[in-house]
Amino acid sequence: MQCVIIAAVKGWHAVLSALLFFIPGGASAADDGNGAARELARKTAAFIGKGEPVSVAWNNLGSLGSAALLDARNAFEAALKEAGCRISDVAPLTEARVTLSENRAQFLLVEEIRRGDERQVWFASWRRGETIPASSSGVVLEKKMVWEQDEAMLDVAFPGDSMVVLSPSKVTLYQRGSGSWSAAASVPLSSPRPWPRDLRGHIRVNAANFQTYLPGLACSGGVDPALSFECKASDEPWVLESGSRAMLLGYYAAGRNYFDGRVISQAGAKKNVGPFYAAASVQEQGQSLWLLTLVDGRTQIFDASFEPAGSVASWGSDIAGTDAHCGNGSQVLATRPGDGTSTDAVQAFSIVNRSATPLSTPLELPGPVTALWPSGGSAVLAIVHNLATGRYEAYAITVSCG
Amino acid sequence: MRHTPLRCPVAKSLAGRDPQTAFTDKPLAVRCAALAVTLAFVSFSATRPHYGGVLRVEMREAIESAEPPQTGSLAALTAGFTISQWEGGRRAIYSADPAAAGGRPFLDSVEVQMGRPLHDQSIALNLGKADLVEFDASDAQRAGSPHKVWSSSPVRVLLLLFGPRVEDTHVREALALAVDRTSIHNVMLQRQGEISGALLPQWISGEAFLFPATTDVPKARSMTAALPPAARTFTLGVADPANRRIADRIALNARDAGLTISPPPPGAPGDVRLLEVRIRSADPATALAQLCSALGLAAPPRMDSPEALYAAERALLENYRVIPLFHLPVVYGVNPRVKGAPGITPLGEWRFENLWVEAARP
Repeated sequence: MQCVIIAAVKGWHAVLSALLFFIPGGASAADDGNGAARELARKTAAFIGKGEPVSVAWNNLGSLGSAALLDARNAFEAALKEAGCRISDVAPLTEARVTLSENRAQFLLVEEIRRGDERQVWFASWRRGETIPASSSGVVLEKKMVWEQDEAMLDVAFPGDSMVVLSPSKVTLYQRGSGSWSAAASVPLSSPRPWPRDLRGHIRVNAANFQTYLPGLACSGGVDPALSFECKASDEPWVLESGSRAMLLGYYAAGRNYFDGRVISQAGAKKNVGPFYAAASVQEQGQSLWLLTLVDGRTQIFDASFEPAGSVASWGSDIAGTDAHCGNGSQVLATRPGDGTSTDAVQAFSIVNRSATPLSTPLELPGPVTALWPSGGSAVLAIVHNLATGRYEAYAITVSCG
Repeated sequence: MRHTPLRCPVAKSLAGRDPQTAFTDKPLAVRCAALAVTLAFVSFSATRPHYGGVLRVEMREAIESAEPPQTGSLAALTAGFTISQWEGGRRAIYSADPAAAGGRPFLDSVEVQMGRPLHDQSIALNLGKADLVEFDASDAQRAGSPHKVWSSSPVRVLLLLFGPRVEDTHVREALALAVDRTSIHNVMLQRQGEISGALLPQWISGEAFLFPATTDVPKARSMTAALPPAARTFTLGVADPANRRIADRIALNARDAGLTISPPPPGAPGDVRLLEVRIRSADPATALAQLCSALGLAAPPRMDSPEALYAAERALLENYRVIPLFHLPVVYGVNPRVKGAPGITPLGEWRFENLWVEAARP
């Protein structure tokens, strides 16, 4: 706890005549606002004396809401009462003003107390904690946060009963114990070339084994009996799945954040469709279509022969397909356009007459979606850079037909 | 199928940049039609960043050095770019560094024009000839502007600094009490930033509110009433001509308090100067030490607690040699084609590695 008598001065705005510092040995920040408030209350009680009244005004200059201020106030008043003091606005000799403030590192509770010409200022601080992210829920799309961390995440997958998190610096295996995931092993990632900005990577699971695609690298690993993971330089195409059935091979452009346009269909046909970010397959009236988000902002619809069959103009660059069949066809989930500086949303669409029809209300997310990959047949894995906390969050998004 | 060479004029330019748009397996008519479709969608934005393009930046400062600077905004560019052309005082071009930490920037290059007056910068932005320009208070507040505005946290400290000639503390305090900060803030600064009596902004220290910035003209008059006219007369210099109007208003305020302020003779700094000092660190102790250094004040003692920081700042201000007035942000006007996370930090430093421009294509 840092609670220090800072100054005793003559007059509210007068020049300091003396500075008195008293820093207790082993001083540390309070645990929270209530602890800080109680410490200030103890100082106040010592200053005014048992049984004496004090008037206290409260002010909030910080980002913590009025509830936090009320909590601190209640804690302060309870501690003051415990110490035998009373709060009164009727002709008190002593007036205090307590301000909830903050800087980048910590929250501050600052008390200015005045009795006659004497003024003192006390500080109590506690470190800033995590902000609780806002959540929202969709009617048809449901999201569940499966993991969050400070470092960027490229993908999260679930081989066997484990969870594997792909980050730019490492692959980490997590195992569930007593209801929560805990890190069991980690393998650092290294690349012969610097990673591109807006690095992308994808994990493809096969039972307890998994393949990992990164720019210029192809990796394979397993989780049973322990984490194994090996990478080699590779220009081989990435396997792009859509749900559990459709598959496309796409060549990733080295040093960039998109596929270079060369694709190989499940039938083995090779095509060049132009650079794209993501691919998803949908069913429309029994026909398979591929949707590719091109780097020019369009989403191009291709037929089974990869001939252009329409386009969608208003989607973001990340899409993913699922096995869900709500209505006549299957669904594709798409992000919305943006530039990475605002919150994002994922919405389910079906393709009707070669154009996109929204099926769900947008599922709002607390930041831009930095990755969207199929996760098994029925779910999609979205990585979100939470704008409020700065952390990366992985959500499993499922489609419910309602 | 026999292929016809690509002849669409626009297609040629696109094909030069993007081999994927050459459409070489289709007849000419199909290729041009497909290209027209492509161009019709050019304005649509996507979430993922584009690679390529030039960010055109203009700045008022003209850095005349023979070599690129090692500090300041331009130096910050070297986090992701390398200097490829330097014309001191006029122009600089920085090219994307393929080995930059975090990966090559999305932009190909950043072109900086120096020595550009604010008015000219504003025109360049309006004409689409610049992507990022410095804004003054009136630019930032202009309604209906199509441009994006990027604003830092308050990092410019506007203050009065007394020289040694004005020895009487009462005179200095009287000026501190006479300045009508609210009026200047509302009218001349268009309510940008914050009024403050502290050196450090509230967002950095959390304690700025403890330093009063109130106007009390009667008290100021009472402090100067008994002084001889010579003791109440001094000159006010302005380091940046852009702040001339604010200095004139301060001189008027001072007159109400019985002080006589005039401009200094040409070439003289003035008995008191209106200065702007930039904060370069978000750490309160570091920021205060840097401010002291910039103002020629004694370095403050070690500040490892909120109490010590408060005491140090009070000690610096108690003799009214320094009178903080305002904490102002750095504000930029940005062409809507510029995408990506805000290209400035809360301290106003340039961070262009994650920006991209919409028209660019891989």
